[in-house]
Amino acid sequence: MMDKTHQCDLDQDAALYRPIYQTGRGYYVVGGIFLAVYLFSIYMYYAQIRNGLGVTGMNQPVTWGFYIVNFVFFIGISHAGTLISAILRLSKAEWRRPITRMAEVITAIVLAIGGLHPIIDLGRPDRMMNLLESGRLQSPLLWDVTSITAYFTASTVYLYLPMIPDIARIRDRGGKLTWLYTFMAWGWQGTERQKQVLNRAINILMVMVIPIAISVHTVISYIFSMTLQPGWHSTIFGPYFVAGAIFSGIAALLIVMIIFRKVFHFEDYLKQIHFQYLGTLLLIMSIIWFYFTFSEYLTGIFGGEPHEMNTILYKFSGPFAFFFWGMVLCNFVIPVTILSFRKFKTISGVLIASIAVVIGMWLERFIIVVPSLANPRMELPLGIYIPSLVEWALFAGGLSVFALGFMVFAKFFPLISIWEIEEGRIHGVKEVEERIHSYLPGRELSNL
Amino acid sequence: MEIKRRDFLRLFGGVSGALLIDGCGLDEVFDLPANMIEKAKKGAGIEAWSSTICSLCPGGCGIQVRMIDGIPVSVKGNRFYPVNLGGMCPLGINALHELYNPDRAKTPLRRSGDRGSGKWEPVTWDDALKTVSEKLATVRKEGKSHQVGFLGYNERGLMREHISRFMRAFGSPNYYQFSLTQNDTVAYQLLQGQSQVPAYDILNAKLIMSFGANFLEGGYSPVYHTKLYSHHQDRNTRFVQIESRMSLTGANADRWVPVRPGTYGALALGIAYVLIREELYDKEFVKNRTFGFEDWVDRFGGKHTGFKSDVLGNYYPERASQITGVPSATILELARELGNTRPSVVLGDGGAVANTNGTFALMAVHSLNALLGNIERGGGVLFIDQPPVQKHAMVSEDPVARTGNHQTPIAQPDEIAFPMTDFSIESFAQHVLAERPYPLRILFLYRGNALFQSLNHDDLVNALKKIDLIVSFDSVINETSEYADLILPDHTFLEKWDEVSNVPSVGFTHVGIQHPVIQPLHDTRHTGDVLIELARRVGGTVGAAFPLNTYEEEIKFRMKGVYLSGEGAVATQGVRQLWLDYLQQRGWQIGRYASFEEFWDRLLEHGGWWNPIRKKKSSSEVFRTPSGKFEFYSQTLKASVDRLVAKAGAPRSSQNLDLVLNRLNISARGDSVFLPHHEPVSYEEDKPLYLIPFHVLPNPDGQAANLPMMQEMFGYTARRFWSSWVEIHPETAAQYAIAEDSWVWVETSVGRLKVQAKLSHAIVPNVIAIPFGLGHTSYGRYAKGHGVNPHSIIRNLYDLISGKAAFEATKAKITLAS
Amino acid sequence: MPRWAMVIDLDKCTGCGACMAACKMENNVAIVDSKEAQAGRALFWMDMITTYEGEYPTVAAKRMPKPCFQCDNPPCTKVCPVRATYRNNEGLVAQIYHRCIGCRYCMAACPFTTKVFNWYEPQWLEGANKCFNPDVSVRAVGVVEKCSFCAHRLQHVKEVADLEKRPLQDGEYVPACSEICPADAISFGDLENKDSAVYKLSRSYRASRVMEDLGVEPKVYYLSKRVS
Ligand SMILES: Nc1nc2c(c(=O)[nH]1)N[C@H]1C(S)=C(S)[C@@H](COP(=O)(O)OP(=O)(O)OC[C@H]3O[C@@H](n4cnc5c(=O)[nH]c(N)nc54)[C@H](O)[C@@H]3O)O[C@H]1N2
Ligand SMILES: Nc1nc2c(c(=O)[nH]1)N[C@H]1C(S)=C(S)[C@@H](COP(=O)(O)OP(=O)(O)OC[C@H]3O[C@@H](n4cnc5c(=O)[nH]c(N)nc54)[C@H](O)[C@@H]3O)O[C@H]1N2
Ligand code: SF4
Ligand code: SF4
Ligand code: SF4
Ligand code: SF4
Ligand code: SF4
Ligand SMILES: [Mo]
Repeated sequence: MMDKTHQCDLDQDAALYRPIYQTGRGYYVVGGIFLAVYLFSIYMYYAQIRNGLGVTGMNQPVTWGFYIVNFVFFIGISHAGTLISAILRLSKAEWRRPITRMAEVITAIVLAIGGLHPIIDLGRPDRMMNLLESGRLQSPLLWDVTSITAYFTASTVYLYLPMIPDIARIRDRGGKLTWLYTFMAWGWQGTERQKQVLNRAINILMVMVIPIAISVHTVISYIFSMTLQPGWHSTIFGPYFVAGAIFSGIAALLIVMIIFRKVFHFEDYLKQIHFQYLGTLLLIMSIIWFYFTFSEYLTGIFGGEPHEMNTILYKFSGPFAFFFWGMVLCNFVIPVTILSFRKFKTISGVLIASIAVVIGMWLERFIIVVPSLANPRMELPLGIYIPSLVEWALFAGGLSVFALGFMVFAKFFPLISIWEIEEGRIHGVKEVEERIHSYLPGRELSNL
Repeated sequence: MEIKRRDFLRLFGGVSGALLIDGCGLDEVFDLPANMIEKAKKGAGIEAWSSTICSLCPGGCGIQVRMIDGIPVSVKGNRFYPVNLGGMCPLGINALHELYNPDRAKTPLRRSGDRGSGKWEPVTWDDALKTVSEKLATVRKEGKSHQVGFLGYNERGLMREHISRFMRAFGSPNYYQFSLTQNDTVAYQLLQGQSQVPAYDILNAKLIMSFGANFLEGGYSPVYHTKLYSHHQDRNTRFVQIESRMSLTGANADRWVPVRPGTYGALALGIAYVLIREELYDKEFVKNRTFGFEDWVDRFGGKHTGFKSDVLGNYYPERASQITGVPSATILELARELGNTRPSVVLGDGGAVANTNGTFALMAVHSLNALLGNIERGGGVLFIDQPPVQKHAMVSEDPVARTGNHQTPIAQPDEIAFPMTDFSIESFAQHVLAERPYPLRILFLYRGNALFQSLNHDDLVNALKKIDLIVSFDSVINETSEYADLILPDHTFLEKWDEVSNVPSVGFTHVGIQHPVIQPLHDTRHTGDVLIELARRVGGTVGAAFPLNTYEEEIKFRMKGVYLSGEGAVATQGVRQLWLDYLQQRGWQIGRYASFEEFWDRLLEHGGWWNPIRKKKSSSEVFRTPSGKFEFYSQTLKASVDRLVAKAGAPRSSQNLDLVLNRLNISARGDSVFLPHHEPVSYEEDKPLYLIPFHVLPNPDGQAANLPMMQEMFGYTARRFWSSWVEIHPETAAQYAIAEDSWVWVETSVGRLKVQAKLSHAIVPNVIAIPFGLGHTSYGRYAKGHGVNPHSIIRNLYDLISGKAAFEATKAKITLAS
Repeated sequence: MPRWAMVIDLDKCTGCGACMAACKMENNVAIVDSKEAQAGRALFWMDMITTYEGEYPTVAAKRMPKPCFQCDNPPCTKVCPVRATYRNNEGLVAQIYHRCIGCRYCMAACPFTTKVFNWYEPQWLEGANKCFNPDVSVRAVGVVEKCSFCAHRLQHVKEVADLEKRPLQDGEYVPACSEICPADAISFGDLENKDSAVYKLSRSYRASRVMEDLGVEPKVYYLSKRVS
């Protein structure tokens, strides 16, 4: 009975299983390249451990550089996943079904990468345990540690639970690593009871994960806004960071979707409509982002506090102007232009907009962290910051881990939730129909 | 009491110190003689303080060295030493880095490669001394004792006397000091007959107007002047600083007046014009105590122009303004302020004298003091009494020495140049190179680094190469001693005896005793003792010139004179309270001691002796001129030019006078020549910018470049570390598209240097300034290869009256380096 | 409890930098080599701020030696995740070098840019690291450091006072920078002691603190006739 269903699934969703069982030469080449970059970054980090943070481009007063920029950036990207997936699930958006898994994977991988960055940034990583032994709960840095840990835990669980039925399917197909799948499937047989429990668990997590996710980026923003530094000491940083995070998250998700659609031929699952919807969401976020940025700088300029003004001027017309206007271009001009017109809102259009946004949001993180430090309140000459090879290598390493993470994941688990697709096919239509009835007048519709 | 309490036994460093020792391993940390390490390892230590004198610069500050179990661990200012009253400059704080410097010459060294190749092999003292004394004996046997030279730096007091005595007994007139203070005083000799650097009573003056004298940052004793300056707030003293680039002194002045380089004299004379025209000068003083103010008639009936007519005729404010670039309104303001404030004092130094017209400029500046009657008055210009040290008897010369001493000194300038001094490094290099009038066969180098400092680098290098045997007493191998054949390393100042008396420009008589606070760390010897040893080895009257066995004994001998004079007092507790009072009341308690030994012990304990009471002076002591007055019209200069004219040998003496004046680069004619006047500097007009070097406090003479902390601090005000920069006005920078931190080429007719630009509003547009002190090619790991030496692109020009180098007479162009 | 404070008289201070050097020597602060120092990593617990006011030719220069201001309400200690910097009950803001994890958050949070970091293993005079002050520990790579108000000297004078069974006197606890200053521009003492020199000077009409509006309550006062 079960077998039969599976069999039929296999036929229908063969494309989703294929990456697990078939590995092309391209995979090894690409994987090899990323692995090489990753190993190089490890070596560079080793050099940093041996010699000290001197190998970076940081100095006084620019005491934070790429590592903290990338930390904020990666954690921001992580909002792609769990948060978006949770919101879509919660709002019962049916089109979410092929997307959620990828979104959740992004979160898990990127959180791991982002979460490591503050450790990479430590002058004394060997004393990391001091955080536990003598941690001060009053420090925003400790709030961060706490909320990132919580988010990471919740996200991995939230990724894992919906994977159980799929893992069971792979287990049942036999072949490689059956023991692993057996273990991970946790005795899933697809009984109604199990389904009920699973759904209940997912629903609880879904609700929990949203505030946790929001807290993560709010707390990250607090790292900056809790100080008195010009350009940092702002009350809207919390929502500004969260909005930015979701913004960059969606863009990252879109990029991942487009790449896998192409590479693994998911055209049947990831359709125009997904990109339309997510594109619209990206457009909305771009406008929200602009609203926050505008408010942030407008209030700064009107206040005209000299130190604040100095920093703003450095961004507007000084040495950081290139980054600042690049950010505005990437985060607002490009996405709004592309996504507002149906003509441009093709998949490639969306891809361009998304890439622009990811770059733009990275620039935003940079433009928040570095200029404030480079231009301290004291009358010191403008600080210089030129990231070193080590920092670039670790940045590239972070991106490689992201790619490798996905590649490895794709080798073991389906990138699109098979059972949810099935569920959508079987129950979805009926459910939507019912739902529509529930909020539209009359029953006539169904009769048409 | 105070000192005793500090001698208490305490844990060697306590908890944190223990960490330090354990963590690093004692032997590694303490690269010291084994017996000292053993002592330190025991853990508990005794803290003690030992007083001596800092000798990292001529400033002569009293310091105390903190010793733990006999190991020096830090220094601080001696609170009771009158020169610095506990203060120090950043350089002095590095005293221990000089002591422990890894690049010291640790044993006698013999050159094992070509000259300048930097290859050395250690030799024993005995071998080295044998080589030198044999060579000395040979030269003497040949009756060529005058072919031995000694190039010192700016040693004063006993060391100078000691070397003189050696050279005299040996029989050579060729003892030179590369940076003789006397060269700084030519203007005072001409006007006042004084060959000492004057002291300025900054504490009591109400207005201080300085023409380029950077007395807070450089000068002879920056800490002494800083102490005095620190009272300007409670005493309402006004400071005006006139210079082309704002120095540290300018930064602290109430008013900074930028002036075009090479025109300080014109500005001073413009001010003199206003003082005279508005009758703001001290008529009484000018009438009774000066010569040549009004027009005058000499004893042959010749009519002469006086200072007054000359100034009124030539230096009206508009003209002075045109020359100097200072607005006439400013000149009027400065003059009125000066004329209406008593007492006031006018200083000249630094930029004002560092040019081809330096002597005349300084004469013009100092003549303002005469106009205002500032000389030998409280709040004015003072000349300080010499300390009553006991002098050694004249040496007896044997016939060889007598012949040698009567030879023409080899560095004596050509007939028409440097009429007031007998030495310049320029003539030294030329004559040694040309072996004129005879070759130099042996040269001793004592301290100093003439090659790094000098402008005629190539000539000097070639001159050094001509000398058979060069013996350097340096404690660190520097650019000059790279050319030596033997290094007989001296102790550093914390390991040796010396006497540091009457630091120039300090306003009272004093003697500081520098004594070893630690046994020598390396196999080095005191140069004074080495000279005694060499003299003994040569023997005869040479050896007999040194009846005492050590330099230390000679110091003691000299100090007997101080003891016997009954004047002054050992610098002990209480000085600070009396510091201000003494000047007002002159009430000074003179200490009495039961015996010389007691006096000597107290002297060592407290670091020195001083006497703030100035002797009453007769007019002829203050003005040692032919007229016995302050001479606006310098008869001394007249006589010396006349002597040159008589020697010049052209058919008519008027032609001779022209010849002489032209050779001396004097364009003025008539009586103006002998009056303070502005002598235009002949700049190369094809270059647009004036290039001036300047000094920074952590490393003014380049001597501190081997101290890493001073290298880190080198440009602390400009936030430049270990590196040179060129200061340039933003307007000028804009003309050449130069931005902050751009790399630029600074090019003169001599050469070019690549430096980073620093834009500054505190510099005259069209003037660019590069700090001096970096750009070493030798002198140890910390000095070598950092920054540039501006002297390497400065034209080889001199003030031909005083023989001082003209550092500011070069023009440059600047281009963006790609 | 005393509240230790410093008063720097800018009308006396010439900007000579002796305090910078004395501080480095006293506290075993590493010497940073050429490349590093030029990259903005020079280590000065006592720094020098130079500013120019006005346009040529009426330019005035202002030099301001800057130690840690030892804020009573220090933004730097608030953010430290491991309490490696804290304000003790005598108002001294201290660093615990062996606990610091090197996150540099306190540096980012200090409005006065007074903290410095050991980017590399610290270095001193090569091959001759022997003139360390034995009273002050040396730091390791990767930790933050800053002016301590020479707290070890407080320890020292307290020990002496204890031995002699008497209370500390005004002027007994003198940091190295204050001791060496050739202009006597740096006064030091207890603000709680109304007879102390610093208390009186801190009340002078010339006294002000840097960026008082931030409310971090610096305990370093500057005296100047010029309005700062
Ligand atoms: N720590 C330390 N201190 C020292 C020394 C040391 O070795 N170490 N050396 C001591 C000795 S021996 C001496 S002689 C003194 C030297 O010290 P000073 O006698 O003060 O001479 P400089 O430092 O050369 O000062 C020259 C100043 O005048 C300015 N200046 C020069 N030429 C011109 C010009 O044409 N126009 C204008 N407008 N300005 C000009 C320069 O900008 C510079 O600031 O320093 C003494 N102080
Ligand atoms: N171009 C140019 N020339 C100048 C000047 C200038 O500003 N520019 N300034 C002039 C003036 S005012 C001066 S004072 C001179 C300064 O010129 P110098 O007197 O040559 O002084 P430094 O270059 O500081 O060289 C001092 C040397 O003394 C040695 N030394 C240090 N300590 C000891 C010790 O204890 N014993 C012995 N035996 N040797 C020691 C070191 O090797 C060091 O290289 O230069 C003069 N010449
Ligand atoms: S001024 Fe000269 S003598 Fe005084 S501390 Fe500085 S270097 Fe030493
Ligand atoms: S030591 Fe004194 S005079 Fe020199 S910079 Fe420091 S505070 Fe100012
Ligand atoms: S000045 Fe900076 S480092 Fe010092 S206590 Fe205040 S905030 Fe902390
Ligand atoms: S760098 Fe050290 S002292 Fe500063 S916040 Fe981090 S752990 Fe605390
Ligand atoms: S108080 Fe001590 S630690 Fe602070 S700047 Fe002064 S000398 Fe340095
Ligand atoms: Mo000199």
